[in-house]
Amino acid sequence: MKRNVAARVIASGLSVVLAATMLTGCRFGFASDPDDPNETVEEQPIDTSVDTFTYDLSLSGTSITLLNSKAEIQVALEEMSAVFEEKSGVHVEVMPVTDGDSPYTKVVSLYNSGNPPALSILDTTDVIALAEEKAADLTAEPWTAEAEDYLTRVNGKVYSFPLCIEGRGLIYNKKVIEDALGETFDPESITTLDEFTELLDRLVEAGIEKPVSLAKEDWSLGAHHLQYVYETYDGTSEGAADVIDMIKNGKLDLESYDRMDQFLDMFDVLKEYNVAKGDPLGADYDEMAIDLADGKTAFWFNGNWAWPNLSEAGAENDDEYGFLPYFMNNDPEDFVNRQIQGSPSKQIMLDGQMASEKEQAAAKEFLNWIVYSEIGQQMLVKTCNVIPPFKNNPYEPADPLSRDIYEKVQAGEAFNSSAIVPNDHWSVLGAAMQKYLAGRSDREELIDTIQEYWDEQE
Amino acid sequence: MKQTTVGGNKRKAANFLAMLGLIIIFVAYMFPFLMVVINSLKQKRDIIKSPFSWLFTIKGLSFDNFVKAFNQMDFLNAFKNSLIVTVSSTVLVTLLAAMLAYYIVRNNNVISKIMFALMVASMIIPFQAIMIPLVSIYGGTLNILNHRATLIFMHTGFSMAMSVFMFHGFIKGNVPIALEEAAYIDGCTNSQTFFKIVLPLLKPIISTMVILNSLAFWNDFLLPSLVLTDKKLLTLPLSTYSFYGTYSADYGTIMAGLLLCVIPILILYIVLQKQIIGGVVAGAVK
Amino acid sequence: MKLKHKGKDFCMFALPGIFCFIAVVIIPFLYGAYLTLTDWNGVSNVKNFVGLKNFAGVMKDKQFWTSLLLTFKYVIVVVVLVNVLAFAIAWLLTRGMKGQNFFRAGFFTPNLIGGIVLGYIWQFVFSRVFVSIGEATGWKIFEVSWLSDPGKAFAALVLVSVWQLSGYMILIYVAGFMGLSEDVMEAAEIDGASGFVKLKNIIMPLMMSSVTICLFLTLSRAFMVYDVNLSLTAGAPYGTTEMAAMHVYEKAFTSRQFGVGQAEALILFVIVACISGLQVYLTKKQEVEA
Repeated sequence: MKRNVAARVIASGLSVVLAATMLTGCRFGFASDPDDPNETVEEQPIDTSVDTFTYDLSLSGTSITLLNSKAEIQVALEEMSAVFEEKSGVHVEVMPVTDGDSPYTKVVSLYNSGNPPALSILDTTDVIALAEEKAADLTAEPWTAEAEDYLTRVNGKVYSFPLCIEGRGLIYNKKVIEDALGETFDPESITTLDEFTELLDRLVEAGIEKPVSLAKEDWSLGAHHLQYVYETYDGTSEGAADVIDMIKNGKLDLESYDRMDQFLDMFDVLKEYNVAKGDPLGADYDEMAIDLADGKTAFWFNGNWAWPNLSEAGAENDDEYGFLPYFMNNDPEDFVNRQIQGSPSKQIMLDGQMASEKEQAAAKEFLNWIVYSEIGQQMLVKTCNVIPPFKNNPYEPADPLSRDIYEKVQAGEAFNSSAIVPNDHWSVLGAAMQKYLAGRSDREELIDTIQEYWDEQE
Repeated sequence: MKQTTVGGNKRKAANFLAMLGLIIIFVAYMFPFLMVVINSLKQKRDIIKSPFSWLFTIKGLSFDNFVKAFNQMDFLNAFKNSLIVTVSSTVLVTLLAAMLAYYIVRNNNVISKIMFALMVASMIIPFQAIMIPLVSIYGGTLNILNHRATLIFMHTGFSMAMSVFMFHGFIKGNVPIALEEAAYIDGCTNSQTFFKIVLPLLKPIISTMVILNSLAFWNDFLLPSLVLTDKKLLTLPLSTYSFYGTYSADYGTIMAGLLLCVIPILILYIVLQKQIIGGVVAGAVK
Repeated sequence: MKLKHKGKDFCMFALPGIFCFIAVVIIPFLYGAYLTLTDWNGVSNVKNFVGLKNFAGVMKDKQFWTSLLLTFKYVIVVVVLVNVLAFAIAWLLTRGMKGQNFFRAGFFTPNLIGGIVLGYIWQFVFSRVFVSIGEATGWKIFEVSWLSDPGKAFAALVLVSVWQLSGYMILIYVAGFMGLSEDVMEAAEIDGASGFVKLKNIIMPLMMSSVTICLFLTLSRAFMVYDVNLSLTAGAPYGTTEMAAMHVYEKAFTSRQFGVGQAEALILFVIVACISGLQVYLTKKQEVEA
């Protein structure tokens, strides 16, 4: 009797597996449906016919490891490393930072295991934390000239290679706005917070009840929103560093700092028109992409990294998406109302402690190859789909979000400022922002929490 | 006569109620798993928009996720690695723990007491607290990371305490010392007694521990991720890394990958369930 | 075991297991404890002895003590619920009813789903299923996502933990019930013992070793809760559901205060060791030897 039950369970399990195998060949859906969101984006061909890069043949046979903390380009990096190996003979093993690990934790554990990667893709704060202790000095590398504005310096020296530019702002879906308003929409026409609010009101009248998607995630609120407070001080990284210093040592009172209030003015507007206003902390990130693509909303505060989500939600490369600035006041001349933020995010650090000289040379060659070889240039833009920080790279990104940022950077309509904050800033103050978003704290309490956070920093 | 009938009816009613309650709780327990199964067949957009929609009303329902997961995970190689690590660690820890627990139960001396207390206490150590020291000792000092054998050894060490604890409780409660004394009178040595008399009696707990340990080893993520970095050695959970992005995750593929990972364990469980029952019948202490 | 070849028996039966255990758990633990007395940050090449400075840092870390208090609350609720539920279900599943094997396999499935998938599915249940039930019925309790309210998010955490842990404990209780001697049960039946009396006087004492194990396991797992915490709420809303183990990890790696994090882990360990030591001592006293 009991035997029978078990046997039956196994038998039915097997039959399911069998059925599954049989059905794998045929699909229930419509494979050629143009709207099929699962259809893989066609890969852009890489032209490998021209290659004027000079490879150092003595390095052939060297093997180095690249720790990758940008999971979405893992496959692309593997392709890149395969091409590079074919050309140079240097093997680059791309090691992913797996889910659940932070890049920093992974690097720390790898250094402790005595087997650190020669190259690591890290966030800027991680590079600054590790630079003087572990990294090789890259100040003399030729590519520094091509990315002058995007270098991160620690005590005057360059320890990292800027891999890409990322920008953020209010993503709009042009078609949705135009369909709702029945007129052409010119993003340049909106230059103040009042104009933006008026646009939102018109969209509401036209039937888009809550036109804004606002992510509740602490990294979005704590890093991408709140850091505007520092980054808009004067629109430069130096200015951001200065203002943080002033807040830390009490020279600047957040209560009276105009950008603090202005930031919250904009945040309040977004909060008011939030599609999830009834339960802002219950908002679902993946659903936001779908809402924007479907036209349930018209705006989503995010960055160009959101493209894969939008693309999965059905957006196409020739759809018109772009960024509006994070409007903070009603002065049309203020750069914050004109420009979106765009700055280097991921950096590649070269280990200067454990890696042999040959490995370091091979790693440097790989970095130079990305910047100077025709193939590397193409692959960085087309295969990895990132915005290159290097002036000499002639290729343009293909998706509308990256393209918009790329064009704005070229046209000088982006400000390059990234605030260097302590690593737990996004998590600690992200929580405070969540509380504010949920309406469980007021401005005063939020500002107090931020001030307190900075007071505790050494 | 009459009373028995009444009692019987009562019992039937109670059984029925118990069954009903069980079914309700059962559905609640199974629900998330069913969600994984259903959604593993859908595309990401459908998963997010209509996770509950019945399978056949969705357009584009397919086994694509399974095919994609299978290929991206390098399933066969990862499966082989997982199998080697899980089987070796499970056999090793089950045997060593059973022996150690038996020693501790039957030798109530100071060493036993200290060891047992130490093991019980160690089960409370948060893994995060020994993570960095562990890699700096085994990697930095001994330089033996990136070998399957190291992972097997560590799995064995980490699950030793709990396994000993479980065997200890079972041996104390369910293995009558009288049987062993009889064996000694028949001239058995200690190891003969253990392997021929005691071990068969442990079948139910061995089956339980094999399930619990192999499940833990099979699904473990953190420890293998610290020990193994070479791609050729990656285990199944490690090989699903590429489905997770920084800002988005490929849910359909993740769920398909998860199912591919757990099916072997489910089969093991169903097979061992027979053993648990068989163990009780064979080892019935009469 | 005959006490003849003492040394030989020790080497054969006890030593291999003890060696693995000490090499993998105890030595790294002691090394980790030593690190709490240094200013090592996880990466630098020099370690300076700083005495108890890191422990002073722990005292100053208000959030740690808040999270510890929350963890206590959580542990109490989870331990009680898990064990009552698992015991009851295991008892039902060993009475020889139809299809019990199938049921056992089903109750086991929560163990099969871990990590981020578990969090995703349950997030889904709380923020979508419950909300749509709320919309359909108008019940206030399901009006907004449970995960956006501190009290309800805590309840959600408890619910998921109970769901997952009880699946594990059922397995152990089932093994315990199966190990009960049929003779004893039959004898009890003949003596006319029934229902509650049978449970209290016959089953419970014989099941005490399983109870000890399950209580201990739930206690330690609940104190160490990390995966579920991270994947379900990640401390949200606004840091109100951050449990001790998660805080320790965040302190060491997100806030980059490695020494303080390590010291907090040590303190957490000592607290849990005391509590579960007491529990094992108390329940072991109730056990009877077969």
